[in-house]
Amino acid sequence: MRARPIHYLLISPAQLLLVVTIFVPSLWVGWLSLHEASFGTEARYVGFANYAKLAADPYFWRAFLNTVVIVNVIVYAELLLGLGIALLFAGGLPFPRLMLAIVLAPYAISEVVVVIMWKTMFEPQVGVMQLLLAALGIPGLEWAVNPVHGLTLIVLLAVWHHLPFTFLLLYAALLGVPKELHEAAKVDGAGAWRAFLHVTLPSIMPAILVALLFRYVFAFRLFSEPWLLTQGGPARMTEVMAVYLYKAAFRYRELGLAAATGWAMLLLSLAISVPYLRAVRRRMFADAT
Amino acid sequence: MRPRRWRPLLRRTLRGLAFLAVAVWSLFPILFVVHASFRPPATIFAVPPQFMVPPTTQNYIELARLWPDFFGSLINSLIITLGATALTVIASALAGWVYARRRGRLLTTSAFFMVLVRMFPPIVITLPLFPAVNAAGLSDTHLVLVLLYAAFFVSLGTWIMKAFVDQVPREFEEAAEVDGASLVQMLRHVIVPLVIPGMIAAAVFIFIFAWNEFLFAFVFTTTRARTAPLIISEMLGSVTGVDWGPVFAAATIQLVPVLLFVVLLQRHLVAGLTAGGVKG
Repeated sequence: MRARPIHYLLISPAQLLLVVTIFVPSLWVGWLSLHEASFGTEARYVGFANYAKLAADPYFWRAFLNTVVIVNVIVYAELLLGLGIALLFAGGLPFPRLMLAIVLAPYAISEVVVVIMWKTMFEPQVGVMQLLLAALGIPGLEWAVNPVHGLTLIVLLAVWHHLPFTFLLLYAALLGVPKELHEAAKVDGAGAWRAFLHVTLPSIMPAILVALLFRYVFAFRLFSEPWLLTQGGPARMTEVMAVYLYKAAFRYRELGLAAATGWAMLLLSLAISVPYLRAVRRRMFADAT
Repeated sequence: MRPRRWRPLLRRTLRGLAFLAVAVWSLFPILFVVHASFRPPATIFAVPPQFMVPPTTQNYIELARLWPDFFGSLINSLIITLGATALTVIASALAGWVYARRRGRLLTTSAFFMVLVRMFPPIVITLPLFPAVNAAGLSDTHLVLVLLYAAFFVSLGTWIMKAFVDQVPREFEEAAEVDGASLVQMLRHVIVPLVIPGMIAAAVFIFIFAWNEFLFAFVFTTTRARTAPLIISEMLGSVTGVDWGPVFAAATIQLVPVLLFVVLLQRHLVAGLTAGGVKG
């Protein structure tokens, strides 16, 4: 049935929230990125000077590289672990309600508390995990002084925190794979591995792609974890793009530079989502009339 | 005995160990914090680790003495969370019903716009909103966080609601129309009762997010509207060295309610994620 004015009225609260608090401010950031400004001063048009400055700043490139590396590690580590746990669970689950609650538990925890957990477990010399690693003869993480270790800890806690999301999408998809497909594969003499590769994997591919896309887009925004753990230190070596943006705006008061970073983040997020958005648009408009 | 007999047993043992590893991975950090909150501060970082110490409430008493603001911040968190949840669920239910039932190019365009905006990174909007919120006198108020949190979840919420409304037969609405019910009456008495599970699913996501959120609380609040995660982060920032006992006590108080929430409503979390995520 066709929409009447009353229906546009009903969608207006949701649409207004998005337009006023997200869409218009984001466009404004695009405008701001072409200006030189600080909080409380008049903006002055400078063309693409902010972008040029960004491209010439080694700290920006460091933050960019850090983001690209850790986002990829986080997303694929979650995919592998999430898929492994989903397969384990789909193969028969003892105490299903309890086990699901246990796996979902990290989803309930605030980033601030997640940082507290991992920071104290990896406290130099005295943290439980440091002692455990030492007992196993593995050198501990010197995350406060070694940037690679700092980023490793950020990856670890991000994976712990967001694994439930990836797991849940894949688990739901696995439960939806028809049993007959597996039986057919067995009848054809396929082993467990071949059945997984040729039956299970293709059936859950849409869910895998959606999980990957959303985790890419959301991991790309990562701010609280690195901010609370290292504040980008030592010597700005563990910054990610969101931390770089925050510091540019609220510490160095270079609003134009921060805006250019923000616009770059926005465009990259949209670029990552293009295949998904195209698929959604096609399906929506096929259904539109 | 032939080796083949051992294979099912070996398989079961390995599966059991795998379940155990998953449980330890998920729960250990949480239990570590909750447990540490009941240990005397001196034993928390003892080497070798001491887990079997008589429990104490000392850390909670210290928390109340050193950080009285924390308890006020829990009230702020609760107000903001309930406000954002109510706003998101109402706006999402209205929009979700329209998108499930009505068609048209303009309407579809607006639906696509909702999916598109979901990809926008939150930190970007702090740049223009920080001065704008100050100018509007909304800085450090509950309202600004309620609006921001609702804005970032109304899209997921709408998709969840659409998926649930899609499952309600249209005939119910037509029957109500024949009986002369107005649109509002029909929505209230026919649709709402049937999509309550969807509303709960949408509520679970925004509730968890709003209760835990850090970035916006950090940028937009200074004193009166500070939320619990923000106060906890301030406890970590002490220059004189972190007093870990009260930190663990505060973290435990902050995490237990929402953890129970997830455990009790896990079914809705699963339903919401599959409805709003995959089909989104």
